[in-house]
Amino acid sequence: MVASVRTEPQSFNWYTQHDGTTDVLTFLTQARLVRVNRVTQEIEPWLAERWTRADDGRSYTVKLRANVTFADGHPFSADDVLFSFAAAYDPKGGGPTIGGDVMAGGQPLRVSAPDPLTVVITFPVPFAPGLRLLDNLPILPKHKLEAALQAGTFADAWSLSTPVSEITGLGPFVLTDFRPGQRLVFSRNDRYFRKDSSGVPLPYLDRVVVDIVPDQNGQVLRLETGQADMMTSEARPEDYAALKRAADRGRVQLVDLGGALDADSFWINLKPGAFGADPRATWLQRDELRQAISFGVDRKAFADTVFLGAGVPVYGPVTPANRKWFSSAVPQTPYDPARAEALLAGIGLTDGNGDGMLEDARGVAARFSLTTQKGQTALERGAQVLRDELKKIGLAVDIVALEGNAAVARFVSGQGYEAAYFHIGMTDVDPALQTEYWLSAGGFHVWNLGQKTPATAWERQIDELMARQTAALDEGERKRTFDEVQKIFAEHLPVVHFAAPRIFMAASSRVMGLTPAVQRPQFLWSPDSLWVRP
Amino acid sequence: MSRRPALHAFTVQRLGASVLITTAVAALAAPFVAPHETDRRFPGLLNAPPTAVRLRDAAGSWRAPFIYPWTRVSQLEQRYEEDRTSPVPLAWLATGRLVASSDDGRAPLLLLGADSFGRDVFSRLLFGARLSLALALLAALGATLIGALLGGVAGYVGGVVDDVMMRASDFVLVLPAMYVALVLRAMMPLTLDAPAVFALLAAIFAVVGSPFIARGVRAIVRTERALDYAAAAASLGAGHARVLCRHLLPAARGFLVVEITLLVPAFIVAEATLSYVGLGFPDTIASWGTMLEDASNIAAFADFPWLLSPAAAMFLVVWGLNLTLQNRSAGAQYERLM
Repeated sequence: MVASVRTEPQSFNWYTQHDGTTDVLTFLTQARLVRVNRVTQEIEPWLAERWTRADDGRSYTVKLRANVTFADGHPFSADDVLFSFAAAYDPKGGGPTIGGDVMAGGQPLRVSAPDPLTVVITFPVPFAPGLRLLDNLPILPKHKLEAALQAGTFADAWSLSTPVSEITGLGPFVLTDFRPGQRLVFSRNDRYFRKDSSGVPLPYLDRVVVDIVPDQNGQVLRLETGQADMMTSEARPEDYAALKRAADRGRVQLVDLGGALDADSFWINLKPGAFGADPRATWLQRDELRQAISFGVDRKAFADTVFLGAGVPVYGPVTPANRKWFSSAVPQTPYDPARAEALLAGIGLTDGNGDGMLEDARGVAARFSLTTQKGQTALERGAQVLRDELKKIGLAVDIVALEGNAAVARFVSGQGYEAAYFHIGMTDVDPALQTEYWLSAGGFHVWNLGQKTPATAWERQIDELMARQTAALDEGERKRTFDEVQKIFAEHLPVVHFAAPRIFMAASSRVMGLTPAVQRPQFLWSPDSLWVRP
Repeated sequence: MSRRPALHAFTVQRLGASVLITTAVAALAAPFVAPHETDRRFPGLLNAPPTAVRLRDAAGSWRAPFIYPWTRVSQLEQRYEEDRTSPVPLAWLATGRLVASSDDGRAPLLLLGADSFGRDVFSRLLFGARLSLALALLAALGATLIGALLGGVAGYVGGVVDDVMMRASDFVLVLPAMYVALVLRAMMPLTLDAPAVFALLAAIFAVVGSPFIARGVRAIVRTERALDYAAAAASLGAGHARVLCRHLLPAARGFLVVEITLLVPAFIVAEATLSYVGLGFPDTIASWGTMLEDASNIAAFADFPWLLSPAAAMFLVVWGLNLTLQNRSAGAQYERLM
């Protein structure tokens, strides 16, 4: 089977690099103790055979599968689990590590191994998602990486210059060839631990080739002409017509997964002092401005234009695709330009000179720059439509399209941008695993990140509710609490959401066993059950 | 030259001139000829095909020019069909425009279809021509002026001045022109209004293009300066500036014409490239470059070929320019033969 990605991996080590291609590579070559089933959004045993939870709700005894070996024949045991946690918490990581992804309440988990097939995991605080957290922890081979961890060079281990023969794992495939800028080749792991319901050893495929095709136009063409069997990422709205024709001819299967989990995000820099002595500071950071913007955009027309009809209006960061945590009770802002204008007038923005655009009391134009990511068609189109829509209510917007890393650097520093239109991807559907976004101290609390103490009363309230939500073991209480969080969010709108794309995935019609899900990688999250029709 | 090839050259030159004149007139008259404003969006007609102007309706009856409205068959596939049950007549000279639909809300006149935002491609093409052509012409004239001045001075004065100026020109020449333009533009603020971008791009293009002129002019002036007529002018009391401007630079006229024919299309393409990568005109402004950005998807070639009309227009202008200027001398000879 031939798949295609747009970029080559940043590393073979997912602990240090989280880019999309490294993610795909990890799903193909590694395995976790428990896995989040991307279709049901529930966890299921994987390397762990079963587990029990202690009465305190914080301690889990996990029994590992017996007779599991790494692809190189080395037996898997609890030592590899301990090693993986140690690597995740390695203080000498030297780069982005997954440590934060496997912490609870900002603290590491305590892990012990009473015997080679048992692991006891203790959470430092009551933590409702429990073992769901372990979906973030591919189990690494201690026998291959222990030396690097002890030498303090784990951050550089399994870099792209590492011979592929050194890369091993517990996943269904083994990396056998890497040609930079061209392709990755994976062969079947004959020692993979899973069998299908008939007892046939998995995976079915003997070989997976992942071609690196930087241009998505090229990816679509390859799929249409039969040179590739699937794209690992979703099709763009503008690719739909061509793929639909190929589907009608029977060459391609086009899967409509519905609205995405993540919507677009518009926010204004709310970091205190971000605008210095700029006279616009008096209105730029007011709630009413964001509320007016929310009322001033016709979301249906926005979704239709930006996503060429393949989008759905959304009103908050949790979209209907997140079946468990989406709340239909959250207020949905209707399109109401008159209300928007009234809100703007309330913060002193009126059309003093009759030119159709607003000014504040000192005559300063109601104008701000909107930073977005260059090269992302949906974001650039969205920013353009947003500018046109806001012009109708008298707000002038200047679009600044920056390369992705440059834009993120500004958002992280809280300097050098006024407003942002960006795509924020959530790592999990469970809000307790998104605390970096929800908590005021979080590193992903984009509008004003990393606060020492909550800057506003409503952010303090969300902090408290999220703490309660994360600790509660009763699912009903968790849901009610998170609904409350979403209501507060909708009231103050630190981030305004307009639309989420409908996710279309395309694969060759000869690929069978697909279990597509809205979370990335939509096809390859479960690669061991794929097969191709001859 | 015999009469037959000269006739051919003359015809070709006329053809080129016609293309250029038509383009220039259409661009200048854009507010009158274009059926819509450049930012007018028709939300239900994203990527809609061109509307055909008809004289016979579905029943076979002859009528005054009319169009059929587009009905969207599939929003996702952007497929449209003509609604042949309700013809919409065209309105001539209404609301200050040459021609438009009599019912813009239901059936806008989209002579070259709509782009992915539902904007009229034909109207944007006309307004875009004003910007793209004016920029290219201005920049080419600027490059000619700067290049001729520098090349003329270097060739006339010689010595250290010549060396320094030519080494500086060489330095600019060996740099890839497009990257230089990209870097210079990227050093400026990202958000600039259209007049500022226009002035900035014209200046950048003029600077980047001037060494090509300067080197040629310098060589011509250096050669001509050694000829008797230059010495005669000097001995008759003509000053340096007069010798240079009145006697030597005119010798470079043919060279300059050829260089302009090369620079204008190069600058049209450069504007398109810079706008395409987001460093040219803001997307709110219709220019051929910003329009081509919408055609960057492979689907445009197969499904929405009308989005490539700025590329076709660029080809026509460049072709017309080449026909006109490069057959200029042959055309003139034909007129003498007549």
